[in-house]
Amino acid sequence: MIRTDRLAAASRWKDKSLSEKAVTALGLMGLALALPPFPGALAVLVAASLLAWRSGVGPADWLALLAPPAAFIATGTVALAVEIDAAGLHLAADGGRAGLAVALRALAAVAALLLLAATTPTPALIGGLRRLGLAPELAEVALAIYRFIFILQDTAQTMHAVQAARLGTVGWRRRIRSAGLLAASLLPRALDRAHRQEIGLAARGFDGSLRTLSAHRPVSVWGLARAAILLVSIAGLGLAW
Amino acid sequence: MVILEACGLHYAYPGGAPALAGLDLAVRRGRRLAILGPNGAGKTTLLLHLNGTLEPKSGQVRIDGAAMAHGRAQRASWRRRVGLVLQDPDDQLFAGTVAEDVSFGPLNLGLDESVVAARVAEALESLRIADLADRPPHMLSFGQKKRAAIAGAVAMRPDILLLDEPSAGLDPFGTVHLLAALDRLCQGGTTLVFTTHDVDLAWSWADDVALFATGQVVRQGEAETVLADHQALAAAHLKPPFLLELGLKARALGLLAADAPLPRKRADGLALLEGLAR
Repeated sequence: MIRTDRLAAASRWKDKSLSEKAVTALGLMGLALALPPFPGALAVLVAASLLAWRSGVGPADWLALLAPPAAFIATGTVALAVEIDAAGLHLAADGGRAGLAVALRALAAVAALLLLAATTPTPALIGGLRRLGLAPELAEVALAIYRFIFILQDTAQTMHAVQAARLGTVGWRRRIRSAGLLAASLLPRALDRAHRQEIGLAARGFDGSLRTLSAHRPVSVWGLARAAILLVSIAGLGLAW
Repeated sequence: MVILEACGLHYAYPGGAPALAGLDLAVRRGRRLAILGPNGAGKTTLLLHLNGTLEPKSGQVRIDGAAMAHGRAQRASWRRRVGLVLQDPDDQLFAGTVAEDVSFGPLNLGLDESVVAARVAEALESLRIADLADRPPHMLSFGQKKRAAIAGAVAMRPDILLLDEPSAGLDPFGTVHLLAALDRLCQGGTTLVFTTHDVDLAWSWADDVALFATGQVVRQGEAETVLADHQALAAAHLKPPFLLELGLKARALGLLAADAPLPRKRADGLALLEGLAR
């Protein structure tokens, strides 16, 4: 199962209004990009981490969520932080400050987005985008892909276990061969599954549109006010420093 | 009184052997009909015909005496009355949460959102999965997925509910839960048709049984009569249910009165043995 999905389903903020969470997360992201990186972006990173903790994301999960984008950002930052010239490889003239600033901004912005992803189930996010004007067809395709990811993941895991049980993963040659066979047989299985799902949907009156009734989560004025207070405080801190 | 019937259905998959070869079947209103047959016999194909998903090469499917037409609108109105639950619940569940998925069918009936919300709550409650309403389908156990898929069909309030191997993949506890939920539906007036190769399940739960073999129904009638017919069972590559054999043997030996009911459930069988021991 995808980590963000698992965390979102178990989040204490799961039933919070999407608007409140979006204002908080997108507001934090905006501040991360707009404020001076120190202390602005750093404050955003700390605030996002604390809010994630409050919403039920444990430190280990939070670090695991941040690790892949952090590694990506670190790779990109190297080009800013170091220089190569006739003297060889050395720190940039500014001592790597520009690289550090970019890395801090990017990490803070990513943390703000991850806060939203780890507290909001994907279908709720898609529903929110739909209310904002995303074409229903696109939303339905996104929802179908989302559902399919887990079915295919489940199928792939089962097939991999079966291959492993018959020594298909012993040695790199066999591993590569098994992975190829697995990938090749996933496509026909996916097509077969799609056909059967079409029958299942048709049995319930599918007419080309995947309409469902979404749960209504009322916006709390107090929740919005708290988000606004947080954002204004960080903005004040960032500008006053 | 017959609510749904199939007359002389013929069907073959492209390039394959005939799946249905002049099949006749009658489903009585308010009853539980088990369609028994070995794996790969074509039971699912039959359900897809009864639901209007597949069109027979020849023959007719009728509901209350009216023949099915295969136009888009006619098929839609047919499916309002005949619900279908597939064997693998992942073939049916597509939405982000269980409640959203269950709302799909009622919304397609053109109902108001308030009515749909009430139907969703009712269907989830009848399957005893109201606590799973906000869970994504991929976070459910197989048994929970099965009940969620059935709730999706139940929310449309069909007159007839077709279930393909409802107990397949369920542990005994899950099967008991599922059958209890189906019992409640039947008591509410829904006619149930289910396919299975489990003769013991059919004997313990079905009112009527149809034996399916080589694309035809070789015998149909009350469960007690059909499941005691060894010849017909052999033709369908099946064996008699254990509890039925036990009860018939007890009768033959004079240990069970001729008019006494035969044991259908595990508890009935145990009670019979206790009675014999005394």
